[in-house]
Amino acid sequence: MLELNNLHARVVPEDGAAREILKGLSLAVPAGEVHAIMGPNGSGKSTLSYVLTGKHGYEVTGGSATFEGQDLLTLEPEARAALGLFLSFQYPIEIAGVPVMTFVRTAMNAQRKTRGEPEVSAPDFLKLSKIAAAKLRIDPEMLKRPLNVGFSGGEKKRLEIYQMLMIEPRFMILDETDSGLDIDALKVVAEGVNALRGPTRGMLVITHYQRLLDYIKPDRVHVLSAGRIVKSGGPELALELEKSGYDQFLKAG
Amino acid sequence: MQLADLPSRRSEAWKWSDLRAAMAGQEGVVTGTAPIDAEGPISALAQAMDDAYGPSALDIVAPGETFETRITEGDAAQYGSVIVRAGATATLVERAGVSGSRLRPFLPSFSRIEVEPGATLHRIVVQTNDVGTGQADAAIVLNEAVVKLGQGATFRQFVLGEGAKLARIEISVDAVEGAQVELNGVYLASAKRHIDMTSRVAHRGPGIQSRQLVRGVARKGGRGVFQGKFLVERAGQKTDAEMAHNALLLEEGAEVFSKPELEIYADDVACAHGNTAGQLDEDAVFYLRQRGIPDVEARALITRAFVMEAVPEWVGVDLYAEIEQRIDTWLGTRA
Repeated sequence: MLELNNLHARVVPEDGAAREILKGLSLAVPAGEVHAIMGPNGSGKSTLSYVLTGKHGYEVTGGSATFEGQDLLTLEPEARAALGLFLSFQYPIEIAGVPVMTFVRTAMNAQRKTRGEPEVSAPDFLKLSKIAAAKLRIDPEMLKRPLNVGFSGGEKKRLEIYQMLMIEPRFMILDETDSGLDIDALKVVAEGVNALRGPTRGMLVITHYQRLLDYIKPDRVHVLSAGRIVKSGGPELALELEKSGYDQFLKAG
Repeated sequence: MQLADLPSRRSEAWKWSDLRAAMAGQEGVVTGTAPIDAEGPISALAQAMDDAYGPSALDIVAPGETFETRITEGDAAQYGSVIVRAGATATLVERAGVSGSRLRPFLPSFSRIEVEPGATLHRIVVQTNDVGTGQADAAIVLNEAVVKLGQGATFRQFVLGEGAKLARIEISVDAVEGAQVELNGVYLASAKRHIDMTSRVAHRGPGIQSRQLVRGVARKGGRGVFQGKFLVERAGQKTDAEMAHNALLLEEGAEVFSKPELEIYADDVACAHGNTAGQLDEDAVFYLRQRGIPDVEARALITRAFVMEAVPEWVGVDLYAEIEQRIDTWLGTRA
């Protein structure tokens, strides 16, 4: 479903020199699978999520990234979203003056328009929203407030997953979704994420810690170090990392 | 009066809005005008135009209803006064629209407003300019109000300004004990448009509350000016005042000038002011695009939300919708 081949990318800050972050990353996530990317700070985890979604300031210098055979790298961010790519942000952005529900409905309809599908009707939207909010134990009043403005870190993460449930993307990238969540919130969020698992969907779970993977069980685990995958394995690899740390792989990388 | 009598950029109050330069080509109006008195140039020009073109539209004494005045297209002016009697409530809507066929539209307006003790006045100024017409580029719009508030009176104002060759919406408020003042505004400066919002609130008695929120956006070749002054006299104890002006420069080559001023002589007051001018947050734009909202729409959505925060609900459903529509049209999200 998602295939990355020898991907090289650099971050280009507005002021300052470009730095190469991804140095030949190869990875394949077949439909129906959940892959975890683990790695120490600075290994390129967030860069990977931004490169895949097309954020400004990130430049691909080599290799390829395809989604169901289609070249992702030439597409605008909104076109990638319409294909079904969804990023749960590590630091969700506050948008003043735009209520959560207005925002989500605008996003859903924009994607549908791009795909040539009819808009979601108001009653259908409200029904879906009610179900998603209940699943994530979100106070419906919160959905009338401006997006993320004044929300706690945990509330913002829940809202990311709420958006995910509403948009029903085909491929999800979860960037440090566990950060800022206590154990109860983590379980609720994981339940929401697991609800979207299925044979036609894929998922990349980026995390620093093994904890999240207790609740979102990966099919494969990859260790990212210095911009490359240095080790891949089954779920047991995450447990091994938790026990003995990243050092062993850093040397290997 | 001669052209040389009009204030130019050398005058502090007009340093970003050079009236003399803008009025070149309107010598006929200027020379037919009496000398500038203590009320200033807008008063003199509006009075001269008003005398020339008919009766004043603003000599009204409000018994508690809505008044609407309209000056549009060609040469039209307002010069008059409004009194809202004690305890009464009134709404005043002033429109200055540029879209017609005159070569050099000149729309001056000057009003003297008195809100008696316990009375309430809501004033809405809608200065529109239909982009794309040549005469809209040449128009000059001047609107000044001098407002005197009685004890416990309430004055709320909202101004929408789309600018002109030179547009200045100016207000000066004198408040006494227990008065409440709100001065909000939105300006939209596209290419060849100049929009100036200048205000002054004098807090002359205790317990006055004043709030000001002006939001502006400017595109390449557009210019926004905000000059806001809060004066708190020695008698203005327990004044509670907040002033904010925030501008977004949407494109390279957009200009915004601002001068927020607090001048405080009382010692027991709460006065705050905030002033920002910046660009759209690209991280926010990316967030919206990642959710599937196209770039142009994402920018319009954020910008629209930014300016709409300054539009108060008290303007009423119809005007709120109209203002929203003007803003959307300006942003290009509605036909």
